[in-house]
Parts: sequence; structure tokens; C-alpha cells
Amino acid sequence: MTPEVFMLCVLAALLELDTTYAFQLTFSRGIIAAPLLSLVTGDVMAGLQVGVFTELIFADVSPLGGILPPSAVVCSAVTLALHALGIELYFAFFFGVLGAILFSVAERYMRKNRFKWLVYWETQILKKPGVVLRAVFFSLATSFVMNFALIFIFTWVCGKGMLWLLPHIPTQAHFACRFAYMAVPWIGLATLVPAFRLKAR
Amino acid sequence: MRFAMRLNLFFRSFFLQTGWNYMKYQNLGLTFVMLPFLKETYQNDRDALPSVLQRYLEIFNTQPVMASFCFGALARQEEAIAKAESLTKFKEKVTEWSSIKKGLSITTASIGDRLFWGALKPLTLLIALFIWLMLGVNFFEINLPASVPLVYVFFAGGVAFFVFNAIALFVKWQGIKISYNADEKSCFGLTRFDWNKTIYNAKRIGLVLAVGMILFGLYHYLKDFSELDVHFVTRAVIVLFFVMISFVTRKLRIPNMYLYLAAVVVFNLVCYL
Repeated sequence: MTPEVFMLCVLAALLELDTTYAFQLTFSRGIIAAPLLSLVTGDVMAGLQVGVFTELIFADVSPLGGILPPSAVVCSAVTLALHALGIELYFAFFFGVLGAILFSVAERYMRKNRFKWLVYWETQILKKPGVVLRAVFFSLATSFVMNFALIFIFTWVCGKGMLWLLPHIPTQAHFACRFAYMAVPWIGLATLVPAFRLKAR
Repeated sequence: MRFAMRLNLFFRSFFLQTGWNYMKYQNLGLTFVMLPFLKETYQNDRDALPSVLQRYLEIFNTQPVMASFCFGALARQEEAIAKAESLTKFKEKVTEWSSIKKGLSITTASIGDRLFWGALKPLTLLIALFIWLMLGVNFFEINLPASVPLVYVFFAGGVAFFVFNAIALFVKWQGIKISYNADEKSCFGLTRFDWNKTIYNAKRIGLVLAVGMILFGLYHYLKDFSELDVHFVTRAVIVLFFVMISFVTRKLRIPNMYLYLAAVVVFNLVCYL
């Protein structure tokens, strides 16, 4: 695991906070986050492509109500980190999408269980209202640590596994994954048309 | 509301979703946002603050940008509660406060979800994609050119970022002021904007851009072929196949990512066979 991959995971964990917990200024969008993350690895064109593909593949899942869409930051970070380790983009993107799906499962679990310590903070806030600032900081800090741990561990496991597997992967698998990767923007663009359908005024 | 207080609420509103949980959703964030206002309102009656905070720590969930309308309306109602002259009036105002909180959070969430996540986000994505293609950055190609100016890479994303946030921050900033100064007759200022028309227009523009993007993308994807050879046909078939199947999976409510993962598996099986 190179220092740049480590830095990328730290930056990704920070950007991931923008998705829900802080700001929501769309730094966590694929087209913003991936080029930013690629500045760490140095391959900005890969960052741009991964950003566009990530945003398009997740374009049909919006955070409406309590729905938790897969994280574009996690997908971009895992893809770019694996690519920086020498794995082709079309393989890396597959793991990026898997990582984003697994991250949303983990995030759902965290949200379910966060209430347990929130009960403690609520009683503290009622005793001393100023504690709310500490509760917010604690919440942000734990989210950052969890984000980093999940992104780093997943990238590390996939990176190790893929680097070991790569010499044994047959040409057919390269060909198949390239084709599937080529299809990503078209899958995304095609779903944008019905997404804009005019139901009623 | 004083300008400094409005500014304070505005900056704190960026942390509305901190501590998001499935039991009470944004309750911690709402308390964090409203605390300075509550401290000011109850500065002569500090003992009342815990019971006030208890109400804010109850369930609250809305869209983060449109939440500003809730902040202003709740602040106005909180002032009315603080000024209640009798216990009956106080109870009446607290009941009103609760119904405002519940009703307004649902309304603003509905508008915000449709406008910001349903229309503006994909619309700004399409704008960025058009800019990149016009700058000559053909992101459809797997083998990307290595030497593209850094400004090109960040320009389109920057435009999308600016457009989205210009609208979102405007609504956020104005929402606090408008809802604070409005009453329930104007639905706490929500009726000042024609949200349905805005969403309708944004979606209409989005639809045109999405269809245009597919055609523009097809042109970029296939323009380098001078003749109808096997590579051209393969590319065209893949594009058409996935465009068609995406429409079907959308109807079946299967997310794109699963279509992609299925494509990886199916292509691998086909290649081995």
C-alpha cells in the first residue's frame, strides 16, 4: 500500500462527509470528487472518466426519504486507488461499484446503531445545552474514522487480491470487463431520459 | 431576525444532517442549528431551555437545502411561545409549533427532493458532460488522451458545482428570511416561489439535454470510423443494446449498478463459451 493510496483514502473519507453529515455542497459528487482524488494519484484523466462513469451509474438512485444511495466517493476512491496500484480501470471500476454497494450497507448499519450513543448525548444536551457542539464534533469524527477504515480496508483487501490474481486472469476476462466498462455511460445516459419524464405539472 | 443570527443559522445549517439516525433522523442537527436562536430568545429564562430543547430533540427529517424554511418558521413560532402570557396560550402555541414542524418538514422535503435531487443534480451533470465533450474531452473512450489541460478537467465539474450551489445556497439563505417573515397563510413563504413550474421547466430542459447527450455521445463515440467495419458495428450494437435494456430495467426498478454487474458476469460467460 503506497503513501499516495493512504492519502487518497484520507481525502475520500473527508469528501464522504459531504454526502450526508456536513455541508452537502456536492463535493461528494462523482464529477467533483473523482478529479479531486485523482490529483493525489496523478492520473487526472482517469479521475475524470471514473467521475463521469460513477455519477452516471448511480444517477438513478437518489437520496429520497431514507434511501441510501451507493457512495460516489467510495466508488471513485476504490477505483482510483486500485488503478494507482497498477490494476486496469475496467477491473478497478468493478471493485469500486462493489465497494460503494457494501459501504451503503455498512452506512445503514451505522445509522441504525448511532441512536444508541445519541441517547447519551441527548441527556447531556438537556443538562448542558452547549454540549450539542461536542456531540456534533464527535459525530463527525466517528463518521470520518469509520469512512476511512471502511475505504482503506476494502481497498487494501481488493488491491492485495487483485495484484495476486492479475497474472492469472485470462484474456477473455479482460475483454469481457472492458466491454462491460464501455457500456457504463450508455446505461447511465439511457436512464437519465426517463428520470426527466414529465409526470404531471 | 437580526442579520448576525440569520448568518449563524445559515452556517450551522450545513451540519443539519450530522448525527443522522433512523430513530429521530436530523434531531441532533436541528438542535445544533437552532441553539443560538433559542439561547437568545430565552436569555432571561435559562431554566426553560431544557424543556424547549426536548421539543427540538424529537423526530425531524427534511431535505437539507429546503430545511431553511423550517428554521425560519420554527424561530418565529418559538418567539410566540416565549411571549405566551398564559398557560393555555403557551400550550396552544406549542401544539401549533409541533404541527408546523411536522407539516412543513414533509412539504419542504417533497419539494426539495424533486427539485434538487430529482432535477437539478442530473441537469448539472448533463451540463458538465456537454462542456467536456465540447472541450474535446471524450470520456467515452477507454484509452484516454494523457495530455489534457488540467483546467479542462476541472472546468465542467466546476460549472456544475457552481450552478447547483448558487441555487441551493440562494434558497437556503432566502428560506430563513422569507419563512421567518411569513405566516401560515402563505405556507411560511413557500408560495412565494412557483416550485412546480420550476421543477417542470428544469425537467423539460433536462429531457432535451438527456436526449441531446445520447445523440451527441453517439456522434463522439462513432465519429472516428470511416467505414462500416466490424468494430463500428460492435460498438453501435453495444450502445443500442444497453440503451434499450436500460429503459427496460428502469421500468422494472432495477438500479443501473446491478445492470452493470450483470453485464460483467454475462460478458465473462459469453467470452468463455
